[in-house]
Amino acid sequence: MPEIFGTLWEVFARTWSGFLDATVITLQLTGVGVVLGCVLGLFFALLKLSGSKPLQLIANFYITIIRGTPLIVQIVFLYFGITEFITLSNFWAGAIALGVHNGAYIAEIFRGAIQGIDKGQSEASSSLGMTKGQSMRRIIFPQALKRSIPPLGNQFIIALKDSSLVYVIGVAELFSLANREAAQSFQPFETYLVVGLYYLVLVMIFSYLLSLYERKLDVDK
Amino acid sequence: MIIAKNIHKSFGDLEVLKGIDLHVKPQEVVVLVGVSGSGKSTLLRCFNFLEMINHGEIILDGKPVNIKKDNLNKIRAEVGMVFQHFNLFPHKTVLENIIEAPMMVKKKEKGAAIKHAKQLLEKVGLAEKADVYPSKLSGGQKQRVAIARSLAMEPKVMLFDEPTSALDPELVSEVLAVMKQLAQEGMTMVVVTHEMRFAKEVADRIIMLDQGRIIESADPKTFFENPSHDRTRQFIQLVE
Ligand SMILES: Nc1ncnc2c1ncn2[C@@H]1O[C@H](COP(=O)(O)OP(=O)(O)O)[C@@H](O)[C@H]1O
Ligand SMILES: [Mg+2]
Repeated sequence: MPEIFGTLWEVFARTWSGFLDATVITLQLTGVGVVLGCVLGLFFALLKLSGSKPLQLIANFYITIIRGTPLIVQIVFLYFGITEFITLSNFWAGAIALGVHNGAYIAEIFRGAIQGIDKGQSEASSSLGMTKGQSMRRIIFPQALKRSIPPLGNQFIIALKDSSLVYVIGVAELFSLANREAAQSFQPFETYLVVGLYYLVLVMIFSYLLSLYERKLDVDK
Repeated sequence: MIIAKNIHKSFGDLEVLKGIDLHVKPQEVVVLVGVSGSGKSTLLRCFNFLEMINHGEIILDGKPVNIKKDNLNKIRAEVGMVFQHFNLFPHKTVLENIIEAPMMVKKKEKGAAIKHAKQLLEKVGLAEKADVYPSKLSGGQKQRVAIARSLAMEPKVMLFDEPTSALDPELVSEVLAVMKQLAQEGMTMVVVTHEMRFAKEVADRIIMLDQGRIIESADPKTFFENPSHDRTRQFIQLVE
């Protein structure tokens, strides 16, 4: 048993500076992915709630396609599949794929949260003369956003872990580096354990920050 | 102030309002009564276009309203509405609740909006609650804030839909007192309520709605002592 910890430690010590760089890239991928995902998610949630059949159709089309196909297919499609039209760096192909992918799930999170706000809120805003847009921006969405935070946090954690799939187009994020290390060092057992630990720690840090934030929201109210 | 001519309103196959004619004069206080499901809320909601009538005409302050062409937001801004469940904005403080619409809709400058809001809070007896969130208020306080929020838009008419029905009995009177004061100041009001004492004391006219029709319209004394309709008599016995 102690030997395992010894070799683990050795692998950790040898790889940490490389893994730290890779962690930054993983976080950048995740960051772009969730920001883009939130923008797209809000946009498509509003389309779904617009009351217009064609707009709803567009939103449903997007959500069905994205949720119905594997992320890894979406990643390689954006990188290799559309080179005739546009060439993206592997980082941006991966980040955009993550964003587009998460957008479909986040759209449903926002839609559910907005629909969950009591109808009395929009009736009260209307009765005060506010427009639909004002009521959405000032009254409905702020409340919906607050309710979205737990499922959004959950989705962000999924995005962080899913960013590993971008290894398939050779972005130098954590999992790519782990693959290379494992092959070069002939120590797959230790290497994959170590990289798993990196993800775990990142997720735990994020969960902790999220719980702090949620507590703060509770206090505010 | 509000003239309704032959209003019809259906939800699908269910005809809820079956030809309502009503003329609410300036400064008049009209109390609307009727059993549950008789269409009281629907009628009020038609007056500020939360529901759209299917037939008939609504004339507000001398202007016939065209549902398709007119800016309904602008019209709604002039018709205050107080709901049974208050519908305060939970993410905003009491003061923010009140200044929101004057600033967003009337483009009132913030300082002026706050000044007016504080006067209104004073008036409903909640000056010290300006910076509190609604969740910290009792039901009666919430409803008084909701009234102040409506008044902040300086409406020409106030509609009240069972404003005290969701309150604990001991909190009813503080809300009714505010409404009574408003009436005395000359606000035009249409009030749906089961508070018969309020109706007797404050109403200029009591109207009884039954299955989507007005079956009785009389001053309080006549309404209670000499109603023309059997259904009204039954209703009075029921609520008293
Ligand atoms: N949005 C709606 N859709 C369908 N039916 C409705 C709707 N609003 C009210 N109704 C029906 O209209 C009738 C009158 O309702 P309402 O105006 O709320 O009565 P009241 O306020 O007198 O109790 C009821 O039968 C109610 O179920
Ligand atoms: Mg009702």
